[in-house]
Amino acid sequence: MQELLGRLKALDPAASQSLRVIACFDELIVGDVGVHGLLSAAAALAGRPVCLARGTVVTRVDSHGGSMEPVGAPIHAHPVMDDVEVWIENPADETAELDAIILERLALALLIRLDTKRTSAVPPRDMTLLLERGSSATDRRDAAARLGLATNARYRIVVAPLFATWTRHPRGPEDVVATPFGPVHAAVVDIDAAPAASPVGIGSIAQVEEMDRSFRTAMIALRLHDGSSSETSRADDLGGLAEMLADLPDDRHDDGDQMAVEIIASHRWGAITIDALVRSGSVREAARIAHVHHSTMTDRVEIITDTLGFDPMSGIGRTRMNLAFLRWRLRTSRVLELVPTRNA
Amino acid sequence: MNVMSDPRRVFDPELRAALAVVGGVFPPTITPELIPFMRQSYASAPRADLLSGREIEIVDLLIPGPDGGIDASIISPTHASGPCGAVYLLHSGGMMFGDRFSGIDDALDWVEDLGVRVLTIEYRLAPEHPHPAPFNDCYAGLVWMADHADDLGIRPDRIVVGGASAGGGLAAAVTLAARDRNGPRIRGQLLDYPMLDDRPTPSTAIFDGIGVWDRVSNETGWAALLRSIRPVPTYAAPARSDDLGGLPPAFIDVGAAEIFRDEAVDYARGIWAAGGEAELHVWPGAFHACDIFAPHAGISRRMIAARRAWLRRMLVD
Repeated sequence: MQELLGRLKALDPAASQSLRVIACFDELIVGDVGVHGLLSAAAALAGRPVCLARGTVVTRVDSHGGSMEPVGAPIHAHPVMDDVEVWIENPADETAELDAIILERLALALLIRLDTKRTSAVPPRDMTLLLERGSSATDRRDAAARLGLATNARYRIVVAPLFATWTRHPRGPEDVVATPFGPVHAAVVDIDAAPAASPVGIGSIAQVEEMDRSFRTAMIALRLHDGSSSETSRADDLGGLAEMLADLPDDRHDDGDQMAVEIIASHRWGAITIDALVRSGSVREAARIAHVHHSTMTDRVEIITDTLGFDPMSGIGRTRMNLAFLRWRLRTSRVLELVPTRNA
Repeated sequence: MNVMSDPRRVFDPELRAALAVVGGVFPPTITPELIPFMRQSYASAPRADLLSGREIEIVDLLIPGPDGGIDASIISPTHASGPCGAVYLLHSGGMMFGDRFSGIDDALDWVEDLGVRVLTIEYRLAPEHPHPAPFNDCYAGLVWMADHADDLGIRPDRIVVGGASAGGGLAAAVTLAARDRNGPRIRGQLLDYPMLDDRPTPSTAIFDGIGVWDRVSNETGWAALLRSIRPVPTYAAPARSDDLGGLPPAFIDVGAAEIFRDEAVDYARGIWAAGGEAELHVWPGAFHACDIFAPHAGISRRMIAARRAWLRRMLVD
């Protein structure tokens, strides 16, 4: 994995290595992974052996997860709990920053695993408390205060994949947050802040007590990002639709309109044609946007109308197609899986 | 958000953690537009990095192929003496990307730890070179290897044909062809999560959009390899073979959480039905090629160890 982290850095020098380390240990903790697995992951991330000392007993694991002959503890080891400490071998100046994060997360994971006297669960991190839907207003305010936010102010949430390329990094608290689409990078920013990354989603404005709403709309904005352009995807551009899409119980669920859009999108011209129709007032204008002849667009609209079973150019039909298209785009979004192309 | 609905729950927790690190380098869903990106992203590490700290040496070769020379490399232990067993290795990369050193770390360990040699070749890639070009290159390489066994310091009776993913599919095809054509004698076939079947199986549908190499990626790979060749030839998709008899012993491993699960199991079943020998391992919670992307994880280590034990039995003991 250290090789992969290195390769990520080569693909994207601004890649957030530390956030990936945090996300990795979050998953290990949630998965209740044992001591050897935790040490293996730390060693794989560091690319060097990692040791755990419990009293005088030392466990030493190499970067391929293999057990090694134990060695004595160095002068500076990272404490886990009474009589328990960890360290990464062969530290150097250029590895110090990443090593510190790996050791901090490893120590936390080991503490949860080893401290049998501990009765309470490890509390979720403040960013998770702030953004989770189930948190109470009080929890959210307390978490915001601990994160250094003004509890009576309004903010936005910005989200990006862990591999996003930042051209303007957000100023404000940030962390990794678990979502059904995998871990994401979330940051709290001022309402007029303009962080820039490819890809990125910027949420709606919300009070601290409703920060989860901004997070959900930011996720919608991010997932609607086309993945390649350097443009920012903003929940504001969708207005109330962003919130509505965010509140749909499960956007993976197919409905009739969405299935029709899926069939249309299977044509090579499908998605760009619907997109042109969505952004235009007439078939003629759509033809211009899609760079096709008017008669070609008329033929396509006929196929689209037949497939949908209603006229997408009038009345409620427009709304139905637009909404189904947005949901289809959310469902087929790959923005959280794919490093954006370099030349974009 | 309801974390419990995360479809990645099918993966072993250590592997799920690794996915957080791998994310973006090898996207689960590969469409034709992504082939250039994957060729960059899945290219092997620089030669010096591969060799670093290892007691092995690599000699580059140009071997004759059906349509011009094929770049190849023979990898040997630094202190090799006398003829030894060898693996003819066909690299992974969905038939469309990768090079002869992609995902090769495990094979370098075989050279170092088992004292075997590895011959790996640069077979031509789809979509520029559809079937039968990749297969023909691979078969030609095997014939050349067997013919030059003495020069290469290889025991001709101890050649295992092996590969992962697309390379596993090619290894299976080359093994079928060696039988059909009275070609080189093969000691065993090592099929790591092999790409054998262009037709969907139940597991192709289950693991969609997650992990490494999903349904769409597979469709992209097969479309690139087959274009419009019908009927699909056996040497392109070995699962279509109706005769799996008379084959050398097979070692087949596959993840329980990957699209190739069912075709790998079916291939083993086919070999058994024909009276042959197959050692099958289905690793719980494993995604495709987890041993390449997360070799440190417990499941990956067990996978690597089982494979190593079989190779030792085939080539060294």
